[in-house]
Amino acid sequence: MNNLPISPDNPLPIPGPIGLMELLIIVTFIIHILFVNFTVSLATGAVGLEIAGKIRKNALLYHMAKSCSFHASIHKSIAVVMGVAPLLIISVIYTQYFYPSTILIGKTWLSVIPLLIIAFLLLYLYKFTWDKWENKKALHILVGFAAVLILLYIPLIFIVNITSMLYPDKWGDVQGFFPSLLHYPQIWERYLHFILATGGFYVFLFYAYKNRKKGGLEDYEQSLKLFGAKVGLWITVLQLIAGFLLLFAFKTEVRILFMGEDLLLTTLLMISIVLTIILCIFLFLAGYKDSFKSFVLSAAVFVLIVGIMGWIRHEVRETYLSPYFDEFPRTEQSLELEK
Amino acid sequence: MNFPSVDFSWLGNGTVIAIITIAHVLISHGVAIGTSVLTVSLEYRAFKTNNQKLDGLAKNMAKWILIITTTIGAMTGVGIWFSTTVIQPDSIGSLLRIFFWAWVTEWVCFITEVILLLVYYYTWNRWQDPEKKRKHIYIGIALSIASWLTMAIITGVLAAKLTPGKWIDTFSFWNAFFNPTYLPSLGFRMFLAILLAIVFAAFFIRLFVKELSVREEAFKVFGFWGAISLPMTFVLGLWYLWAIPDQAYNMIVLATGMTETAFKIINGIALLILIAFSIWLVRSPKTVPIILSLAVFGASVGFIGEFEVVREYIRKPFIIYDYMYANGLLAQDREKFNEEGFLANATWAKEKEIMEENKVEAGREIFVGQCIACHTINGWRTKRALGKRLAGWDEESLKNYIPTCIRCGSPCLLSWEPKRNWMP
Repeated sequence: MNNLPISPDNPLPIPGPIGLMELLIIVTFIIHILFVNFTVSLATGAVGLEIAGKIRKNALLYHMAKSCSFHASIHKSIAVVMGVAPLLIISVIYTQYFYPSTILIGKTWLSVIPLLIIAFLLLYLYKFTWDKWENKKALHILVGFAAVLILLYIPLIFIVNITSMLYPDKWGDVQGFFPSLLHYPQIWERYLHFILATGGFYVFLFYAYKNRKKGGLEDYEQSLKLFGAKVGLWITVLQLIAGFLLLFAFKTEVRILFMGEDLLLTTLLMISIVLTIILCIFLFLAGYKDSFKSFVLSAAVFVLIVGIMGWIRHEVRETYLSPYFDEFPRTEQSLELEK
Repeated sequence: MNFPSVDFSWLGNGTVIAIITIAHVLISHGVAIGTSVLTVSLEYRAFKTNNQKLDGLAKNMAKWILIITTTIGAMTGVGIWFSTTVIQPDSIGSLLRIFFWAWVTEWVCFITEVILLLVYYYTWNRWQDPEKKRKHIYIGIALSIASWLTMAIITGVLAAKLTPGKWIDTFSFWNAFFNPTYLPSLGFRMFLAILLAIVFAAFFIRLFVKELSVREEAFKVFGFWGAISLPMTFVLGLWYLWAIPDQAYNMIVLATGMTETAFKIINGIALLILIAFSIWLVRSPKTVPIILSLAVFGASVGFIGEFEVVREYIRKPFIIYDYMYANGLLAQDREKFNEEGFLANATWAKEKEIMEENKVEAGREIFVGQCIACHTINGWRTKRALGKRLAGWDEESLKNYIPTCIRCGSPCLLSWEPKRNWMP
């Protein structure tokens, strides 16, 4: 382990108890990722609905798409500000791992800045030209589509970063972002998990929007609404599979901790699986039996699952890094440097 | 040294941070803080004089504050952090540990700012009756205060890099935060922000607002703020200059890359343009010439660029004064490095000792570990491109030159003995 390129920690102490920092990173990350999911699904939803509206020449689909685009640009602002805190904390408590993994994909990591600026400006252009470009639908869709492509690409950069930080023994082998995509385990499984979580949001977009309409729904509106819930159900079923794929991408020592070796990790995983099954039931009732109550409950369960996933994600990181902590100790407050 | 590195071989690593920083300062100061103050001032005047068109102009400005700050503004702010993580990890890593809770507080202010901004813009049309309008104006004032608070906090971090003051001895957060240049730099920045906003907003209003009466009303408000901000920026700027260390003060002209005469002439002209513009705004708001708006716009952007470059440069050879050198090495480790050598302590260096057969590779590692934060091999800034600047030199000349190459009085520079291979 001595040959690993892990530096001694910064001599200045971590400015608070590690436990508090961990709690903060879990909570703030969950809020951040919820808004990221909202933003990505609202933006992709807007473009998808607009394309569907154009193909079917359906005004209602346009209307829904417009509403999605309006909310996407608001949620993206909150997603960005909420991302600051977890980034701050990960930099402070995992300096020895997060900094190397960031710098190893340094140029791609920096490209996040111009890419997000472009994506966000495109989202505003998309939103503020909705009526003005009524007769230039193709151009309008293209603008939204470009923003969506960027929004779907950025998470991959973050995933490579936070995954590669778990593998100091693999750091020296490849340089740069694109080779890292295939070099480190878990990356594509994590990406799939993220994308499906984003996809799962569509049900809420459809359902919530439809339900607000006063004076009853037309037949086709009703079927669209139920269609949304059904899509949500099947995406969630896929998510169960994706979750298992990710679990099996972990190294064996970590995986068995989730499968009985460690009580906390096993319990967390079990709860999340049970909740996902409950979510499927609620979505089934919402989609196939048209139960509004089930829809509301499914939204609540969904948020709960995202929360537990955020927690599990942190535990995975801790488990992967724990062998290194003894060898390369962090500068905690009690170990304050000698003056 | 402790981390891997990236190489922006043409642009230069320092320039990458500079570009992002300058863009962010222009937006955070000029748009988020300054323009918020101007917008709510215009809204208030429109409310008092029942001027719907002026209110419309204020709303339009709020829309652009929203668009610019939540895209380029927010992302370049995060971008400074992203770029310093990649280019100056030791420095930003230390600052995060010293100022963690300040950053957390700033984050809370930033969230408040963004939420207030969203509320401010999206309720504009809905809150038009007098009672609600009053509330709307309060939201605008709260927004201005929240944006100012983010500046008031982050300035503590920025100022501490140049003047950490008693922190060097006490390692106390409060000593670091309320450091010798905190108050003058905060005062200087806040009035500079309003000045910058006046220049930006006036330029676009002059260009796009065709109705003279609206333009006149807006410029009257700007004139009021200009009359306060210009002298205050000047006075507080002098206080700021007076508070920085002598060694840093003496490097200001050098930092700009100009001769002393050129520095005085160019800055003098820029100041005159600013004064002329401010007087014109107050005396004859209807007739501000477009060429003057353009000149003052250019002068201000140039001035901010100069300010940031100077602020960064005059810290040399330090990045956190008296604590950490620009290449991330700690001042307190100097003896240790002289004793043990740089490469032996460089986590990411593959070569740990200089020998005849690995001279070139080891040299590359030393360049990456110690020089790359400021220098390039063949980058666009010839003074910092060592390959261009030192082309054709023999070993003896290099040996004599290197200990003096940073013109800042730093006594110890890269040494050629295998054990003493470190800089600055």
